Amino acid sequence: MKFELVGEIAGNYSTVVLMFGFAIVAMAPALILSRMISPRKKSNPVKFLPMECGQVPSGEGRTHFMMQYYPYILMFVVFDVMAIFMYAWGSTLLELPKSATLPMLGFFGIMFGAMAFALYQSGRRRIW
Amino acid sequence: MSVIAPDFKFSKFIQSLISDVVWFVLIFSLIGFPIIMMVLFFIPMPVIDGELLTPFLAFTYLADPSRTLPVVQAFMETDMFRIMAFPGFGFAALLAAGTIFVERKMLAKLQLRVGPFYCGKFEGILQLMGDGLKLISKEIIIPAKADKPIFWAAPVLFVASAAAFVALIPVAPGWVVADVDMGLLAVFAVIGFFPIVTILSAWSANSKFPFIGGIRALFQMVSFEIPLILSLLGVVMVTGTLNLSEIAASQSSFPWILFLPVGAIVFFITMLAELERIPFDLPEAESEIVAGWLTELSGMMYGLVQLGTYLKLYAFAALFVVLFLGGWNGPQIVPQFPMEIVTNGLELGPVTAKIGGLEPILTQVITPEMINGVLMFVLKTVGVIFFILLPRGVFPRIRVDMLLNLGWHKLIGLAFVNIFIALALVYAGVLGPGGLQ
Repeated sequence: MKFELVGEIAGNYSTVVLMFGFAIVAMAPALILSRMISPRKKSNPVKFLPMECGQVPSGEGRTHFMMQYYPYILMFVVFDVMAIFMYAWGSTLLELPKSATLPMLGFFGIMFGAMAFALYQSGRRRIW
Repeated sequence: MSVIAPDFKFSKFIQSLISDVVWFVLIFSLIGFPIIMMVLFFIPMPVIDGELLTPFLAFTYLADPSRTLPVVQAFMETDMFRIMAFPGFGFAALLAAGTIFVERKMLAKLQLRVGPFYCGKFEGILQLMGDGLKLISKEIIIPAKADKPIFWAAPVLFVASAAAFVALIPVAPGWVVADVDMGLLAVFAVIGFFPIVTILSAWSANSKFPFIGGIRALFQMVSFEIPLILSLLGVVMVTGTLNLSEIAASQSSFPWILFLPVGAIVFFITMLAELERIPFDLPEAESEIVAGWLTELSGMMYGLVQLGTYLKLYAFAALFVVLFLGGWNGPQIVPQFPMEIVTNGLELGPVTAKIGGLEPILTQVITPEMINGVLMFVLKTVGVIFFILLPRGVFPRIRVDMLLNLGWHKLIGLAFVNIFIALALVYAGVLGPGGLQ
């Protein structure tokens, strides 16, 4: 078991951030160059209207839009966190004693029960 | 007929050239040169032949290959080279460009069309370059009342997120931009950026079709993230590590797809959904909502989003190769270099052709093992990319409720089946310590 300073561990990830920054630095000139060499004509205000298949748009662009999938979003919030925490068990499985799997199987049982109930509730369209 | 300005005088022209040069030299020597020196002060320069490399020495070395090649070697071992060129951006962008061309040509063949044909002498091979020139010279139209800073930044952020994903992929032993212990968790973190960038772009456009497409993209990516995360847990259980390089190295005898095929299939399907590819291309369903969240993007902004999409496609295919197909492992088909020719030079009668300084590069950086690893990795990645592209010519688009049903009921169940298979393999002693190796 080796211990490292938190700063050293975080420092390993600096190249990911560098790559992120490099992509920004390399790609922003493409937009700037395009803005410099492409035509810019403000001949007609209709040209800048939002796309609505040739019609003059009516109403607001940013409206409330009912997608009717709230149960799935609620389930995502719970089970995404659970799925990530299962990695703490999965990545150390080879070093753990076999008895450590029993509480994990119990956790799976609870998770399955909760997920089955949530999926049943999400299928009842009338209550959403 | 050429037009010359009426007050044109050749002496004036020469005078303006000279004044330009004088201003350039003045500004460069007063501002540019000190800035370069200040930047170089903070960059660690390599030691070559027991001598610290200074910018002045680097210029003098350019004349002699035996002294230039160590500089090249030192440059190839820096982080900057990895980020810009080889396992990073340049390599991925090259593969992405190839993917675009192959996709267009292959789809055309599937649909009995010709595809790109005229641009370039051979089968329209320069079509992509032509498209790039077209996109960069087209006008960028920002819709009225759009949130301009976010709307401009979204395409760039999309490419940058895809590049951060590429940074985590190991291509050959030791050839990875970021070799981190929690590589797989970092991949999940980066995947979480894409829905945010998509919904930012869609919301800032102040238009209805991008908004509907962005919300669809959000739902789709969010729904398929749980099966994606769960399907990879099996590989982590049998390897006991989250480091992608170690996972790839652990498959030297056999790839994990032999033991965990269910996980591989689930990951492949979730990959199609995360990439918004047919049959899961609801966010940009062109027959329903014009172009989905790409509707208001024009010119180079659309080009950048396309580049980001294909970088992401390469990164996902490479992740599949690293986790399930054994990464760079494969038969050694690249022969060893003839080292006596490299060290002694090639003798042709009285003439001896020799490039000094080539030996350390060929024994330390570009070894036959590294070339073979990259070759195997690229071959496998191209195969996976082919299978990602193929459904586009075969399947129709599925409905939103079918998509959610598939993701939440079937794929999550199959991902748990995969976890139990991995658990059984470890406890039966087939894999893990004392098992097959």
